[in-house]
Order: sequence, then structure tokens, then C-alpha cells
Amino acid sequence: MTTVENSQDIIQSQSPWREAIRAFRQSWAGMLGIIILIAVILFTFAGPLFYPVDPFEIVWAPLTPPGESERAPLGTDYLGRDILAGLINGGPATLFVGLVAGIITITIGILVGAFAGFYRGIVDEFLMRVTEFFQVLPALLFAMVLVTLFTPTIYVVSLAIGIVSWPTTARLTRAEFLRIRNLEYVNAARSIGARNRRIIWRVILPNALAPLIVAATLTVGIAILFEAGLSFLGLGDPNVFSWGLMIGSGREYILDGWWVVTFPGFMIFLTVLGFSLVGDGLNDAFNPKLRER
Amino acid sequence: MRKTGIIAAATAMLMTVGAASFTQADEPKSGGTLVLGTTQKARHLNPAVQSGIATAVPGTQIFATPLRFDENWEPQPYLAESWSISDDGKSITLKLRANAKFHDGKPITSEDVAFSLQTVKDNHPFKSMFAPVTGVDTPDPLTAVINFEKPHPAALLAMSSALLPIIPKHIYGDGQDAKSHPANNAPVGSGPFKFVEFKPGEYIILEKNPDYFIEGRPYLDKIIIKNYKDLTSLALAIDKGEINMYPFLAPTKDIARLKKNDGLVVTDKGYEAVGPMNWLAFNFNNQYLKDKRVRQAIAYAMDRDFIINALLGGQSKAATGPVVPGSPFYAAGVNKYDLDLDKANAMLDEAGFSRGDGDMRFKLTIDYIPGSAELQKNVAEYLKSQLKKVGIDVELRASPDFPTWAKRVGGHDFDMSMDIVFNWADPVIGVHRTYLCDNIKKGVIWSNTQSYCNEEVDKLLNEAGSELDQAKRIALYKKAQEIIVDDAPLAFINVLPYHTAYSKEIGNPPITIWGAMSPLDEVYIK
Repeated sequence: MTTVENSQDIIQSQSPWREAIRAFRQSWAGMLGIIILIAVILFTFAGPLFYPVDPFEIVWAPLTPPGESERAPLGTDYLGRDILAGLINGGPATLFVGLVAGIITITIGILVGAFAGFYRGIVDEFLMRVTEFFQVLPALLFAMVLVTLFTPTIYVVSLAIGIVSWPTTARLTRAEFLRIRNLEYVNAARSIGARNRRIIWRVILPNALAPLIVAATLTVGIAILFEAGLSFLGLGDPNVFSWGLMIGSGREYILDGWWVVTFPGFMIFLTVLGFSLVGDGLNDAFNPKLRER
Repeated sequence: MRKTGIIAAATAMLMTVGAASFTQADEPKSGGTLVLGTTQKARHLNPAVQSGIATAVPGTQIFATPLRFDENWEPQPYLAESWSISDDGKSITLKLRANAKFHDGKPITSEDVAFSLQTVKDNHPFKSMFAPVTGVDTPDPLTAVINFEKPHPAALLAMSSALLPIIPKHIYGDGQDAKSHPANNAPVGSGPFKFVEFKPGEYIILEKNPDYFIEGRPYLDKIIIKNYKDLTSLALAIDKGEINMYPFLAPTKDIARLKKNDGLVVTDKGYEAVGPMNWLAFNFNNQYLKDKRVRQAIAYAMDRDFIINALLGGQSKAATGPVVPGSPFYAAGVNKYDLDLDKANAMLDEAGFSRGDGDMRFKLTIDYIPGSAELQKNVAEYLKSQLKKVGIDVELRASPDFPTWAKRVGGHDFDMSMDIVFNWADPVIGVHRTYLCDNIKKGVIWSNTQSYCNEEVDKLLNEAGSELDQAKRIALYKKAQEIIVDDAPLAFINVLPYHTAYSKEIGNPPITIWGAMSPLDEVYIK
């Protein structure tokens, strides 16, 4: 009986996903990141239930310092809007931009990288030249051009960030595909008559996924910083509260009220830190070499 | 705490201005350099074919005009030593000074006046300035008779500042297009200062004209107009003493800070003629805004006191109608639309727009000019918050750059838009264009982009535009303004907080109605 149970244990621990989750839970960085992200998500999504203040409403005199008015515990901005309400309601937009831009980055990156790495030859040449074209463009400048050409709404901003950030993921995917495409299990799949499509998506991709997941997590953090940068330059969407927008439009008042930019800056810092730590934890979890340490 | 700070700053300013006026009793003396800082970049230096501050400031130093105006809106002799208006008001005779010469030594004749006026009429964007001119007679070299199809009271102001520079016919009369003439970048005029060097986007250097037609002037040896990349570095430059004059200073935090500098004087005098206004425009093609009650309700919902005192630090004046306060045509008795949310709500109810989804009546967009956050974006954001209180859902439409905004508003593609428009001294030049029915010109910015049309207003404005009796003219404009303010094609907000900051060592600072857009021949360094 005991041997059977033991053997089940062994089988379970051999599943790479379970193994990864176990490793992730042992990584203090990953767990800290998860805790930070959960805290941030609770703050911004459950916050409105406990603190139902309209972030656009002018509640007190402009540039009231924190603690001076009960109506605005963290002070007010240059119009007299509540900073705390701004922080709570600015979260979803910031996270939305981060996630959507992250998803766009990963999707384009994996598609381009997978085809280039799998087919090689002329396809590879072509796709890599395209990738290099996007890679040598100054990302912020190109994103600014895109946002300028269209109206700066939150969707355009997300799209612009996604479009300028995918080349790194594409190169990473291509490298993984080049490594895996000649391994035995791929040849085995090919020998039983699997089509290219099946080999790419069902055989190679799952095995190349580990570093891509790590990259994707980091991409979300980078996209959030990117959104803050665009908003800072005045190219954010003025109808949607985001932390980047709060910093961007409040920066002229930094000498008159440090709180206007410091609090949203801290929220961005926390969120990006959270995603980076989770990325770190995932890296530990998926990398067998690191896992053995 | 905040309020007492403002009062203290205001008192300090009063004291410094007082002190400056005492020391002005010093005798003017020759010598010295005026370094004037600006962020406005001139494309060229010929104000005959180009409007705007960037060309006007150097342009008024290089080119003399027939007349100039003092601080009480009174015309003074300049290139013309005298002028007379015919009894029927249909011609103005200018007597030119006999000793006036261009910088290249050639004398100025009535031919040059006729040529300049035609060039301005053909090329300058302010079409209404000389539209009624039928021709200029030149009976002798020192007499020019300007003929009009109807009396044209705006003509005297249109012959001052940068509006009618006398350009040399012997240079510009060579058949080349005045707008792209090579002389525009190295102009020959007859003003107090001669052109030396122009590096676009960096600096303009002018030096004293020794043969200037007014004896003993100018006092300054040199004027350097220095371009700065942004307003922050410009404010720092005058704070540190890198430059000694900063006209068209507008950011209110900079105004407050520079007023505390003991070495500087900061004044809001000198902008009466420009008459710069900040307003919210309504598009009459919008299904809600075509209703007068909706426009009035929005005007009642807007708290001008909050905008001026809280957002603009109390450094700006309220605008209450089409003409700025400080102009002789300002109408003080119009409806001021003092904040009244109950009234605004009641008017919207009466108009039949009841509150529906999310307690909102309807949705409107606001556009704003990018780049001047304090006057435009911040006020638009404030309106979004404020109009929610009367059930109007506002969406802000950001424009990435000025041309995008101008294309939208000029193309009538907007609901409401923040806008900055100048009076340009005489209502005929800068005010009529916003209200006349026949100036609804799609694609032209700063025309009647609201598509507002009221026959009675048209009649009054046209009548006032050709009335020579000043008292009658004032009465006509008063009546027109009362109707316009009641019709509310715009919600007037404030006069731009333009100030001039200058070093205390400057004597006779430019405080006439045209400010720094007038010849600085009386300015001296103490």
C-alpha cells in the first residue's frame, strides 16, 4: 500500500506544472510579488466600495496637503480633486493598459518568432528584418507618433505600446524554436505525420513557453511604465484616470505639492515591482537549473 | 494661509510699482542693451504679411508706422506728423515727416505708404483692417490720401503697432511675392532700430538707428531678442538676470514668483490693445447646444471666481463679453452669469432634457488647445467636473498638437471648445469675425466657428464698424454686446494673465496699449 502511495507521489511531482508551482511557492520573491499584486488589485477594485468618491469631483481647495482636510486624506491635486480617489480609480486603467499591451506584445512576438524559428530560410530572413526594423525604431518616439496620428484614447495607447514592444519577445521565441525544432520529440512528432501547424502550436510552443511566460510578466510592468511615460508627455487619455496621467498632468505642480505626483508614482512603483518579482519567481520555477539550488 | 500670501504678494507688487514710478523721474540716458526673452519663434520679420507676437515685437522696432498710440488709446504722430479725416469720413489724409528715411538712406514717400497699404491689404490675415480701402492717392511725396468706400473708424488703430509697417517700395516692389520675399529675413525699415542678425529659433539682434527721424532717440544701443525652448527656462532666465525683459508672461505661478523678486517689476499694463481672451465656444450645429437655454445653463454652471482665484492664482481678470475690459468699447452692464447651479438645472429641465442614465441629461465633448495646460486643459477638466453637477456628461477630446485642434474647430467638428482669441485693438479687426453671419467659414480657424447668426447683431456690428462718432460707436457696441452675451454663443471666462516682467534698471517700460509690440525708442537703461 505504502509503495503505491509513494509511487503516486513520485508521479505527481514529475508533472512539470506542479513542480513549477511548488518551486514558485518556495521563491520568496515570487510570493512577495503575488502579495503586492493582490494588494494593489484589491485596493483598486474593492476600493470604490469602501471609498466611493468620484475622482473627477472637485472636493476641496486645489493643492491641499495630505491630512489637512477630511475630504481628501492624501491631499488634492491642481484642480482640487481627491488624490486618494484618483489612486483607487486610476488603477484599473493602468492595469488595463499594462495587460492589453502585454497581451499584444506576447501575441505578435510569439507569432513572428514561432514562424521565423520554425520555417527558417526566407520566412526567417523576412520576419527578422521586420523585427529589426521595429527594434531600431526609438520605441517611445514611435509610440508618440502613433498616439499623435490617432486620438489619444486608452485603446490607442495600449495598442501603441504593444506595437513597439514585441520585437524582444519575437527574438526570444525564435531562439527557443530554433533550439527545440530539431529535438527528438519534435522529430518523433514529425515521423508520425503531424502537420507543421500541429508541431508549432502543440509540440514546440508548450515546451518553449517557460521563458515566454517570464518575459510576458516583465512586459506588463514595462508597459505600465510606458503608459506613465506617454501620459507624462501629455499623450494620455484625459477622460480616464490613470496613475501615469496623474503624474503627467501634476508634474508642473511638483514644487507646490509633492503629494500630487508622489502617491501615483508610488503606486506605479509598487505595481511594477510586483510584476517584476512575480517574473523572478516564475523564472525560478521554470528554470530547472535554478530550481536545484 | 494661501490667501494672505496672495495679499502680501499683491501689496509687495503695489509697492514695487510705486517705487518704480518715483525713480522714473530720472533723466533718460543713452546706451545699454535690452535683452528680451521669448519662446515665440519668428518665421520672418515682416509684419506686413504675417500676424503674431513673434514677428510683431521685432517688426515694430524695424518698421515705423504712420501712427502710434499712447496708454489712453489716443493716436499720436509717428511717421505721419499730422492726419485729418474728411467730413464724410471717407478719406484720411496723412502728412509725412520730411526727414524720415529708410535704413538704407532712401527717403520715405507717400508712394511707400500706398505700396505698404496695398501689400498689407493683399497679404495680411486680418482682412477687415483695410477691406473698405478703395485706393491711396499720392498728390505729393509727403501727402497720402487713403480713400474708403464707407467711413472706417478702425483705420487709425490699423495704422499703428505692427499692423501697417511702412515697407520700402524700392525693395519690395521688385515683383516678388511679399510673403516669401528674401528681404523678410533681413528687412530694411525706418524704425528706431536697424536689423543686424536673425538666427531663426535662436536670436534676433537689432542696433540703434542713428538716422532715426525722432531727434535724440532711441536711447538703447541694441536690442537682442532671445528665444528660449520653454517657459520654465525663460522664467528662470529673467529671475537670474540673464535677460532684462520678459513680455507676454502668462503662467500664473511664474508671475507670482517673479513678483517676489526685488530686482524686477511685473505689470499687466500693455496688453489692452491685444485683448487676449479665454473662452468656451459652443457649436450651434449640435442638437443640444443650438438651444439658447442649454448654452446659458452651461454659462451659469461655470464658476469664474473659482477658475480665476483657485486655478489661476488670482492673476487674471474676468472676461464678461466680446470686448476685453480696458478697451473703450468694453460693456460693463452685461449679464455676468454668476454661478447659479439651481438656475442652470431649472433651465435644462425647461429645455426638456431630463436626467436619464446615471443621472445625466446628455453628453458633450470639449476640445482644448494643447500646450497651455493652465488656461485650457485645466479649465476643461474643471468643466467636466462642474457640468456633471447639472447633469451634462463631458468627454475631453485631447489634441496631440495645435494643427489637429485647429482642424477640428475650424472644420466645425466639435461640440464645445476652449479657445484663446485676441481682440486686436479695434472690434472691427478682432471682434466682428467671431459673430458675423457671413464669417461662418468652414475650414478657417478664428472665424465664426460657432455658426452663430443673429441679424440684429450683424446690423449693429456693421453700423458700429462704420460709425465715426466715438460716443455713438460705443453705444452701438454696448447694445450688440448685450445681445451677444444673452445669446451666449460663447461662455466668456477670463482675460489671459499676460504680464511684462522687466528689470528695475529699465526706464520707460512699454506700457502703452500695444506693450512690447510698439517701438521701444523711449526705453532706456538707468
